[in-house]
Amino acid sequence: MATAEDLTKPTDTDAKIVVKEINRVFHLKKSGTEPAREFVALKDINLEVRKGEFLVLVGPSGCGKSTLLDILAGLAFPTSGAVYIDGKKVTGPALDRGIVLQGYALFPWRTVRRNIEFGLEIKKVPKRERKPISDHFISLVGLDGFGDRFPHELSGGMKQRVAIARALAYDPDVLLMDEPFAAVDAQTRESLQDELLRIWEATGKTIVFVTHSIEEATFLGDRVAVMTPNPGTLREIVKIDLPRPRRNSDTRSSAEFGWIRHKIWSLLQNAPIEARTRVNALPVADAISPSAAL
Amino acid sequence: MTTSNNDSPWSRSSWLDRSSILLFFAVWELAPRAGGLLETFLAPPSAVLKTLWVLLQNGELYGHVTVSLGRASAGFAVAALIAIPLGFLLGGNFKSFERVVNPVLRFLGQVNPFSLFPLFVMLFGISEISKVAMIFWVCIWPILFNTITGVKGIDPLLVRSARSMGIRTPTLFFKVILPAASPGIFTGLKMGSGTAFFMLIAAEMIGASRGLGWLVWNAQINFQIPQLFAATVVISVLGLILNSLLELLERHLLGWRVAANNN
Repeated sequence: MATAEDLTKPTDTDAKIVVKEINRVFHLKKSGTEPAREFVALKDINLEVRKGEFLVLVGPSGCGKSTLLDILAGLAFPTSGAVYIDGKKVTGPALDRGIVLQGYALFPWRTVRRNIEFGLEIKKVPKRERKPISDHFISLVGLDGFGDRFPHELSGGMKQRVAIARALAYDPDVLLMDEPFAAVDAQTRESLQDELLRIWEATGKTIVFVTHSIEEATFLGDRVAVMTPNPGTLREIVKIDLPRPRRNSDTRSSAEFGWIRHKIWSLLQNAPIEARTRVNALPVADAISPSAAL
Repeated sequence: MTTSNNDSPWSRSSWLDRSSILLFFAVWELAPRAGGLLETFLAPPSAVLKTLWVLLQNGELYGHVTVSLGRASAGFAVAALIAIPLGFLLGGNFKSFERVVNPVLRFLGQVNPFSLFPLFVMLFGISEISKVAMIFWVCIWPILFNTITGVKGIDPLLVRSARSMGIRTPTLFFKVILPAASPGIFTGLKMGSGTAFFMLIAAEMIGASRGLGWLVWNAQINFQIPQLFAATVVISVLGLILNSLLELLERHLLGWRVAANNN
């Protein structure tokens, strides 16, 4: 039996991130003919992420994966339960976590360099120390020579590289990524995936990556947490043993890759009865088919 | 920013662009010589320049220009100082309140400043304040409305992304909200300064004893046609200078925006 004390303290001290008994309930107001009701976005989520691990959250839209990421970032709060990072309870956003959003969210009035230095300015790093750091990260994401360009002068893929560099520059231990490659074309997406794995291998960050693409999840993750909607639950965590370093050119063509991808796909199809009855009403197969968004 | 050959001030196409204004001055110079009504009511540029020279030499022009610019900038500055913070409050912190008061503000913004001038005169007399109040009235609305629009239009992703770094609210304001809203604010300032200058001349024609508007009005009363034209030319040139100064400032402050729009 778990006592109240057990529930408020993380169990595994080696874990970087511990998600304990998270529930998130939204109270929907009455609108038109719809009566006021409660919407359970997340139900009983328990999850541990090891230091240096690449964990992917995958699931169809509405399964609460972005809500969970927001809670990890400290931008949203659970109705009950808590998140611990290095054993400390998350009470709000902080510079120990970097976040990369789908829409780049670059500051259009700042050059690439000044965008990357934004977090350093908040951290009050002196100006002369900022330049070598931004130089390093400009070069890490392959944007040498673009430091003085403005975001509107860059392609979508380049903007996302800047967003990644900005999140890395203030040296957070954890990188939280919310469908970061959803807005770029398929080819750019693959090269950004390769790039991200290279950067992850070089920096040793702990990454939590949200996607609705099964392909992307399989290719990137050490483990893939499969989530199902109505209510948002963690269905299963799939361990991915594909050898590293992985590169799009060869990893994707392996038989194991296809097998794991299929396994995740069937997990998403065979949601538990309770969820399935409601899910079937939605075009869920479209939302989560392995080829969606690829 | 690159300058191509075509943009050089001495290129062929540039002369073509200017041919219309040269032709305009030529016709203007020659037309009064045809005699008749034109001779009475139209002063040729040569006579206008002569009058300008006299007004410059006796220091009269300088006095009128400084008085006019002083009134315009006073009204404009007070309007900006009130409208910008108010716009941030209405567009950012009190959005639902803004929705309630918006119709009233729109109505007030449409009130014709000329019809209010007698009211200002009753309240403040024929003093500097009544003219400054009129400038204030015409400036505050475009600045207020454009600031509200600018603040409302800020991409919430930018705020979210800054918040995720644990930014404090004052820093968020100066590093994100203010620069993100600045294109809207600047549009308001530009519109405001344009109408300020416009209204100033009118206000000075109605009740003043100095200033460029008074100079026009006085010339008309005394039938000093060259002086009337001289004052008009000064007003146009001042307007042009004011406009290009603002454009220069915009390019300097909001270069990223200008370039982004041209793409």
